[in-house]
Amino acid sequence: MIGIETEYGIWVEGKGAQDLVAEATYLVQGCPPPCIAGKWDYSREHPRRDVRGFTVSQLSIDPSDAQFEQRGAPHSTDIEVRADRVLPSGARLYNDHGHPEFSTPECTSLTELIAHDRAGETWMQTLAERRSKKLGGTPVALYKNNTDFHGASYGTHESYLFARNIPFDDVIQSLLPFFVTRQIFAGAGKVGSENGAPDANFQLSQRADFFSAIASVDTLYNRPIINTRDEPHADARRFRRLHVICGDANFCEVATLLKCGTTLLLLRLLEQGWRPDPSLVALADPVAAVKQISADQSLKWQVKRASGGSIGAVDIQRVYLLAAREKLTGLSPETDLVLAEWKDVLDKLESDPLGLSDTLDWAAKYALLNEFREAEGLSWSDPYLKSLDLEYHNVDPGAGLYLALEQEGRVRRIVTDADVQIALKNPPAGSPRAIARGIAACRFPEAVQSVTWSRMSLTDGDQTRKVALARLGEADPLVVTEALADVHTPAALVAALDGLLGAGEDPEED
Amino acid sequence: MDELKMDDRLTRPTVPMDPVRKTGDGDGPKAPDVTRPDSRSILDRMKKVDPKTAERYRQRSGQ
Repeated sequence: MIGIETEYGIWVEGKGAQDLVAEATYLVQGCPPPCIAGKWDYSREHPRRDVRGFTVSQLSIDPSDAQFEQRGAPHSTDIEVRADRVLPSGARLYNDHGHPEFSTPECTSLTELIAHDRAGETWMQTLAERRSKKLGGTPVALYKNNTDFHGASYGTHESYLFARNIPFDDVIQSLLPFFVTRQIFAGAGKVGSENGAPDANFQLSQRADFFSAIASVDTLYNRPIINTRDEPHADARRFRRLHVICGDANFCEVATLLKCGTTLLLLRLLEQGWRPDPSLVALADPVAAVKQISADQSLKWQVKRASGGSIGAVDIQRVYLLAAREKLTGLSPETDLVLAEWKDVLDKLESDPLGLSDTLDWAAKYALLNEFREAEGLSWSDPYLKSLDLEYHNVDPGAGLYLALEQEGRVRRIVTDADVQIALKNPPAGSPRAIARGIAACRFPEAVQSVTWSRMSLTDGDQTRKVALARLGEADPLVVTEALADVHTPAALVAALDGLLGAGEDPEED
Repeated sequence: MDELKMDDRLTRPTVPMDPVRKTGDGDGPKAPDVTRPDSRSILDRMKKVDPKTAERYRQRSGQ
């Protein structure tokens, strides 16, 4: 299972950063029915639990952000402030640290994942329009990006379920060079630098300036390249969830396909016992390399290797590609699509990186901004360029610059507009958990007493019934879809799922 | 871990789950109503951007 969660930037005319927790709350509260409203069960969440076997007492908080706490604005921990909504697609919408966040439902294919990620943009634009209307026409804009250019970053995270029996230290050592270099195709591009990083005209990554550790459980400050949060949202005896926080928010669908597809393939390689040769890929200073690659204006992306000498980011990626092609070719059509795109993109990154402006966000943004900059006689340090960078990420189809490129047919697509329309209101066809959650959200949301990624609690008359969504993870989605097609009451849902799964313990039961 | 084997499931027929299968109803999200611009209009769109937008854009630190 795979998912993407995106914290969107929010702009409401006349409001400042101190107002954004409230504004994000109002925005989410404007979500139209049907949906499950305010029933997310936070008691089941464990963001401070570390895979290395301990739980930290608190997560680090950005001291510059703490000023807003002192002014009395809550840091969105209260459930009312979170304003959680679960949508008929099984997706989650809520206020996370002053950002409206869209979490796709759990997906089992990359094309479904991309369709649901893109549907999130439409949901956000719908909420912006509804909020603007409520405010009497006050402009409200939402940005699918990861920085405010003033030192505040917000995340686009990926989640991958994988086998728990892989030692997590193997995951760190094996995937660290991959995550450091993945930005050459997954970066969304950024004008300038921040957070004390050296000057740069244009960077590959929105997030590179914000990483200061190799691995930790933190996400808000002192961010690590690899997050060690232990919160599988599934049977914890069998699975881990790799919570990837080092990625950017992508519009380009090929970039999302590669970002998530290559990561998924590598997890599969790890499950098969493959490990990369550290003498080939281990980096002397991974944290420095993230920033160095992102800000390298030469686009050569050479970094120091732990074993001595230097290596290009493309060559590091080729080590992973080679193993994936050797061991996973033919596994599925999607696997082969990822392998083919991965190879093509690496070849082009080596020969003509700027020629990928129809494929990768950073290249599309660079081409658009550089053309404008040259035509208008602007320097890269002109503040206008950062404003155009921001507008690349606007989800308003009448204003966003990426969306203008897409409307012109100047970027490659993986899914169609029709796929995105279906994803707006329908669960992914391959995900039984999302199908069950989405049916509850659509057909009897008022009966839902609590909900998480892995379980629901439903009232039916005087009875409360628990639904262990985690047990559905490996059910046949077609069988589940057929069994739930005519379910219109909580009792019928529970009965249908009991019929499918039989008696069994909730793997998450305390 | 069979997720990359599971995309073949997408080609199977799925049972419509009304009202979940309906799209564009009520007040929910709808397809964007945007006519296809040309290169000139992208340039116009860029020229309409207030150069000070990013200077004013301040966010809370998120995850």
